[in-house]
Formats: sequence, structure tokens, C-alpha cells
Amino acid sequence: MTASLLAAVACVTGLMMIVAGIASLLVKKLISAIIIVGFVSLSASVLFFLMHAPDVAITEASIGAAASTVIFLWGRARIGGEE
Amino acid sequence: MIRSITGMIIVLALAAAVFSVIPYNGVTEELHGAGSYYAENGVADTGSINLVTSVVVAYRGLDTLGEVVVLFSASTAVVLILSLVPMGGKPTAPSQIVQTTARILPGAITLFGIYIVTHGHLSPGGGFPGGAVVASAFLLVLLGSRSLPGAAGMLTAVESLAGLAFGLLGFWGVYVMGQFLNSRVLPGGSPGQLISAGIIPLVSLAIGAKVASELSGVFASYRSKGETVEPD
Repeated sequence: MTASLLAAVACVTGLMMIVAGIASLLVKKLISAIIIVGFVSLSASVLFFLMHAPDVAITEASIGAAASTVIFLWGRARIGGEE
Repeated sequence: MIRSITGMIIVLALAAAVFSVIPYNGVTEELHGAGSYYAENGVADTGSINLVTSVVVAYRGLDTLGEVVVLFSASTAVVLILSLVPMGGKPTAPSQIVQTTARILPGAITLFGIYIVTHGHLSPGGGFPGGAVVASAFLLVLLGSRSLPGAAGMLTAVESLAGLAFGLLGFWGVYVMGQFLNSRVLPGGSPGQLISAGIIPLVSLAIGAKVASELSGVFASYRSKGETVEPD
């Protein structure tokens, strides 16, 4: 992959992260916000990989995208439902 | 509404701050100070061809020990708080898809995590990412809501043994070479082989076991106290 293509993919990913971050603030349902935040983490993992930090990408994908999303979901189940 | 707008402004400001920094990270090609030393002498010093691992485990191994201690205190605090707070809400049984996935995938994910840990000195990864991957396999098992009797005790045992192993490996370096976590107390071998780089693979294993058991303990504490729902 050429450098400009990499930069384009990184820019698109970053823009998607910004849009998703704003969307997570605006959505009404708590569960939607949690899933969107998980998507932001997954995009961050892609960005880390594009910036030649594959080990950080692995950590971000497993902790940021998987673990913290599930912990938020469990916390939501524990406080008992919607905002 | 005002809260949403304030939040949006904060997010945009943070995004602007982050994305204004990125190009500068991309174009600086020259290394300075410690960075250039690691790049030039890292392989010869530690025998690890993955320079990130040689910095994390060998050169700055003491920092990693501190990091593991921070993780330990955090997980202890989470388990303590969760054991004090009364549980609300009602757990629901997982769907057929989650149950089937949780039956098939954890073995493969665990294997991949162990691969990342044991090849930390050869390919990207090491103790911390590999341990996190193993813990996410454990998380999948918990999501499938299978009860794991005795898991908490075993996790505590693994965590303690791994921490002890990390400390002992460090002080082995003090005893032999007069330097904490010196990787040369074992023969370096030829860089690029699986058995090489002195004690770095062993330290990676200790870090991986400790991180995996600590994160798994945090996950398990969310699901303890008979909250587990048996699949239908």
C-alpha cells in the first residue's frame, strides 16, 4: 500500500471516529452509546495498526473494543436499564 | 441539550488536538538519545529482534514491573468495590449465537494469545497484549454464562505465582550481573530463534500470565455471587 492510500484510510477512520464519538453523545439509548463507543475503540485499533504499532493495536482491540464494551454492558445491566 | 452541545465541543476540541499532533509523529524520521541507542544496540544487547519488547522487558523492565503493580492495585480495587456493592438488575440468558461462539472460539483465541506471549521477542506483541487476548477468551467463556467453579482461586494462584516469578527473574539479574532484570543471565542464543534473547521469553510469560489472570479476575468478579445464568 502506498503512503497516500494509507493516509487516506487513516483520515477516513479518524473521521468515522469523530462522527461516532459525537453520535454516542446524542443517541437516546444507553446500549447504542455503548456499542458506538466500542466501535470508536475498534477504529482506534485500526489507526494504531496503520501507524505501525501492531502491539498497541492488539491491546486496544482486546481491552478497548472487547473488554471495556462488555464491562459497560454488564454495568448497564446492573444499574438496571436505560438512561 | 446544553450537556450534549458541551460534550460535542469537548470531543471536537480533543479531536482537533489529537489530529494536529499526528502529522508531526509521521514525519520525524530521526531518533535522538535513548531511542537511537536502542535502535543501534538493542539486538546486540538483548538478543531480541523485536525492539519494543527489548525496551519494555529488558531496558525498562522496572517500569513494566510498576505497570503490573498498578494493574494489580486496580483489579484489587474493582474486585473489592464489586464485592461491597449490592447487585441490581437481572442477568439474562445468552442467545444461541453467543453460546455457540463461546463454545467454539475461546480455545483458538487462547492459543493465539499464548502465541503472542511466547513470540514477544520475535514478532509484535509480548506479555501485555498476549495476556489481554487470553483474558478476552476468558471473557467470552463468561459471556456464554458457563459457571466456572473454583476459577477465582485458580486465578489468584496464577496471578501470585506470575508476580513472584517476575520478581525472582529480576533479582536473578541482580544476583548474577548486578542489574535488575538483566536479560543476559541466560545465554542470548542467535537472534530470531524462538529460544533466544536470554530471559525475555520467561519474563514475557510471567507478564502474560499475570495480566491474563488479573483481567480475568476483574471479569469474573462481575459474574460471581451466583449471578451466573445457566444456558437453557
